[in-house]
Amino acid sequence: MEVLYNDVPSGVGSKGRIRLSAADERKLLLKGARWAVENGMGEEPDLEKTESGGMIDGADPSLISAKAYERGRSQQGTLGSGNHFLEIQYVDEIYDEKAANSLGLFPDQVTVMIHTGSRGFGHQVCTDFLEVMERAVGKYGFVLPDRELACAPFSSPEAGDYLAAMRAAANYAWANRQCIMHWTREAFMKVLGRSPQSLGMGLVYDVAHNIAKVEDHVVNGRKMKLVVHRKGATRAFPPGHPELPAAYRHVGQPVLIPGDMGRASFVLLGTEKAMEETFGSTCHGAGRIMSRHQAIRKAKGRAIWRELADRGIIVRSAGRETLAEEMSEAYKDISDVVDVVHRAGISKKVARLRPLGVVKG
Amino acid sequence: MSIERLRRIDETRLEVPIDYREGMRVHGIIYVDSALEKGLEVQCVNQVANVATLPGIIRASSAMPDIHMGYGFPIGGVAAFDISEGIISPGGVGYDIN
Repeated sequence: MEVLYNDVPSGVGSKGRIRLSAADERKLLLKGARWAVENGMGEEPDLEKTESGGMIDGADPSLISAKAYERGRSQQGTLGSGNHFLEIQYVDEIYDEKAANSLGLFPDQVTVMIHTGSRGFGHQVCTDFLEVMERAVGKYGFVLPDRELACAPFSSPEAGDYLAAMRAAANYAWANRQCIMHWTREAFMKVLGRSPQSLGMGLVYDVAHNIAKVEDHVVNGRKMKLVVHRKGATRAFPPGHPELPAAYRHVGQPVLIPGDMGRASFVLLGTEKAMEETFGSTCHGAGRIMSRHQAIRKAKGRAIWRELADRGIIVRSAGRETLAEEMSEAYKDISDVVDVVHRAGISKKVARLRPLGVVKG
Repeated sequence: MSIERLRRIDETRLEVPIDYREGMRVHGIIYVDSALEKGLEVQCVNQVANVATLPGIIRASSAMPDIHMGYGFPIGGVAAFDISEGIISPGGVGYDIN
């Protein structure tokens, strides 16, 4: 845990180990996780097991503001804060042995889960384009029930620009997780003296849960091109979908549900029913029930790290407040959330993972 | 607390009827069982209904059982729009892109 905490930069506005030139950053925005692999951080099979190959086409770095570039340059390869984490976990329950087998998961196996995104870069892209969209609302004469729904017609230049900038941010996120995965493997190698290959540290899957994508869907028996917005929702494509890697074509797309740091995380699979009902989507996490502020108040006078340590979970965090904000009670019970999507049939449970060690920002 | 005017479709799905608010083009569907429904906030339901008013929305404005309040669109939300008549919105993706 010590090595992981030192080798993977975390915390609010944390600065990375990577120094990007402006030219590098543009390349990274176009190539995503592939940029990291080409720079010696990871291998080709990682990309095969990443949604969109870790690199979505149509990103345009020329649409990114100077401010976003500035925030992005120092934060590549960092975990950040909030609900983001790096966890060492173990498989404590298998719900579908055959499916788990296909994903390479087995009881008591040690796993690592990385939950982070595009950091300040994506945040700035969103901020920049909300301004653009607020102007577009007037221009296209939309009457909206809430100004926060600011939007533009898909065929408009404003929409095209947002999509291209959002794709650059998506690529930034894929590169970020790829770098962190690489350093995680290095940390295990350093401590255990064995190669990632011999430790079986292959990637199970990397999937987004805050993204808009143009996809083919069948609606009332008719094939349509749609722009699917998933905000805190995970893609959950069924067996046989052409976007799945060959290794998973017969079982469906793996779905990763990061939970809170005290309870559990889950691995699910996508289903045909998700395709029919939710455009191939399912849940993404536990969902907060307390605001960050409420949680901090509730945690006053308590040592959250010790409460977790008593339950065998070692936590390393840059900020004391983060631990309070992120304590289990601040979230719904992830098991309840996952049970609902399982029973609804929009994804199916494969494995439950329990935390052993948590790095928090 | 259960929210008025929502209709239970089955054990895991709650419908936000198309007349829940003015201007909805499709209905809303929230994936919650009766236990999680107790913690469902009316502001979140309103967000699901608001999204249903957007041009070109197809089938339904959906939300997952981990739904909570977000910027404009709820977190835990799924909304798909026809690319010829629909829209795209940064609020439908949020700040934490990817």
